[in-house]
Amino acid sequence: MRWLALIWKSLMRSKRRTLLIVGSLVLSVFTVAVLQSLLTTLNAVTNNPNSSNRLVVRHKSGLTQMLPRSYEAYLRQQSEVETVCALQWFGGYYQDPRNFFANFASDETVLFQTFREEFGVSGITEAQMKDYIRDGAGCIVGESLAKKNGWKVGDTVPLTGTIFPISPRLTIRLIFKSPKPSDENVLHFHYKLLEEGVPRMKGLVGSFWLRAHRPEDIPRLIERVDRHYANSAYETLTETENAFNLSFVKMLGNIGAIIQGITAAVVVAILIVTGNTMATAIRERATEIAVFRAMGFSAGRVLTLLLSEGVLLVGVGGLLGVLLANLAAGGVRESLGMAMPFFADFAILPATILSCLVGALAIGVLATFIPAYAATRRPITEGLGSVG
Amino acid sequence: MNTDRFDLGGGEPIIILRDVAKSYWREELEIPVLQGIDIEIPKGSYIALMGPSGSGKTTLLNLIAGLDRPTGGSLEVCGYELNDLDDDELAAWRNAHVGFIFQNYNLVPVLNAFENVELPLLLTGAGRGERRDRVDQALTLVNLTDKMRNYPRQLSGGQEQRVAIARAIVTDPDLLVADEPTGALDAKNAEEVLALMERLNTDLGKTIVVVTHDPKAAHHARHQIHLEKGVLDRTVEVNR
Ligand SMILES: Nc1ncnc2c1ncn2[C@@H]1O[C@H](COP(=O)(O)OP(=O)(O)OP(=O)(O)O)[C@@H](O)[C@H]1O
Ligand SMILES: [Mg+2]
Repeated sequence: MRWLALIWKSLMRSKRRTLLIVGSLVLSVFTVAVLQSLLTTLNAVTNNPNSSNRLVVRHKSGLTQMLPRSYEAYLRQQSEVETVCALQWFGGYYQDPRNFFANFASDETVLFQTFREEFGVSGITEAQMKDYIRDGAGCIVGESLAKKNGWKVGDTVPLTGTIFPISPRLTIRLIFKSPKPSDENVLHFHYKLLEEGVPRMKGLVGSFWLRAHRPEDIPRLIERVDRHYANSAYETLTETENAFNLSFVKMLGNIGAIIQGITAAVVVAILIVTGNTMATAIRERATEIAVFRAMGFSAGRVLTLLLSEGVLLVGVGGLLGVLLANLAAGGVRESLGMAMPFFADFAILPATILSCLVGALAIGVLATFIPAYAATRRPITEGLGSVG
Repeated sequence: MNTDRFDLGGGEPIIILRDVAKSYWREELEIPVLQGIDIEIPKGSYIALMGPSGSGKTTLLNLIAGLDRPTGGSLEVCGYELNDLDDDELAAWRNAHVGFIFQNYNLVPVLNAFENVELPLLLTGAGRGERRDRVDQALTLVNLTDKMRNYPRQLSGGQEQRVAIARAIVTDPDLLVADEPTGALDAKNAEEVLALMERLNTDLGKTIVVVTHDPKAAHHARHQIHLEKGVLDRTVEVNR
């Protein structure tokens, strides 16, 4: 028998209790890991480093209002601006309305330059870009979206409009790979197709996406653009891409506070449950602990043994919890990644795993230490009480 | 003090008690339990500690075994002045020098007989092979090698106590202490355990101090020490 065997056998003393405590730990760690990862994912959407050069110019009264195409010229004139790309959420579906994914009408000539990180442009040849730019009914799709629908370059994709009364038949000219999975669940087609197909869109643009030369220029640019169009017929609201995305995340309410609240509640609950279980388990072993000490186990040794039991218990629970969370993350990516592209990036990050495990271990140590320490402070003769 | 009354025969002493006292306090009130205990117990003795309930037998045994500290006087046991040892040193001392036998056996329920006996050896630094040999020897001595994979609940009371005895002797201590070791056993099993203890004394030369109410058990000892209200009353040599 080795020390670990002794610890293990002690844990298996009450299998039901051990199972119960491990089970509640698994559940808690799982819940916290998933919730914290949700928060991390949402934060990544609004703190996207690839967005740091980009601005969104839209109508001050909201996304359903359009801006004149003529604004493009002024925006392009600004010395800080590298590109200006018109973009409109199309909201079409392929075959089945439930088969939902993000699709946009956009300016084909500047698209790659404006979103070069997202399209992984280093992997796209000049010829491929030209193929798309030349074909007015062409489209580009991300690889994971193409895979999901079994699309190849050259295939025809009929897109049924839901917001706009057109259903363009698009030909895939390019399948791109993105560094981030969420950026691949996207389709783009020529803006002109929308403008020419929908009379009320004539000369109008949903939003302009600007790429600035340097992130430092952005605050100045925002200020200048909005001032320029103040008191005009179409007033603008200009903001960074991250701020723009944040306005969507905010629609979900104060998710951060809710998640932190739930996390705190789970931690407190599991600390109480673990602490109480450990206290009971150790109290039941008062005589046994006294016998160990009579045989020559020092107080420190007994404390170490008991703490090891607690740590092993929460260690197993914690590991299973994050493992389960990881499996669930795969499920979330699969099931929600298309409908809400940011979920395609949903993952339990190593930092989250680490803090969950550290947290679980801290709970184990804390919950065990107090009753274990008390047990080793008691006089041995008291523990042997019934014998004397 | 008339030490003649406490003569346990000659021989090199293994337990020397000098004016040992133990009191408990209930708030301000001192409750003396042992007073002025002066006695030398030679190596290889087999002593039965007797006396009425509450006379301080268990308290004295616990002091000798280093489970508790006196409030007065000093104890030299197995060559160590116990007052000079701190708690951790005292624990190490117990592991090396004292074997414990309890009334309720106190085996660890989640460990089988072999593992229970092995337990005190985990502290000695003995390797796996050596531990196995010593556990085998100890279990052979108590005649339980065939039950070494049994868990305590799969053993009779008598067998449990024999495993406990194997555990007490596996580290080869000089001193065995037992508090009512037959208190929970029927006559037949008690007799078996007592015979075993007697052999440990005669064959292996273990010094044994046993607390008991049972005259039959006391009769197996070589000497009986009688306590009365916390003081030594008399010693009696047993004619076996
Ligand atoms: N922790 C304690 N606090 C206060 N008093 C105690 C404590 N332990 C023992 N005593 C008292 O000390 C006296 C001696 O107790 P001890 O257990 O040594 O008696 P004993 O001779 O072993 O009795 P028994 O034959 O019933 O086991 C008793 O009066 C007991 O009440
Ligand atoms: Mg007693």
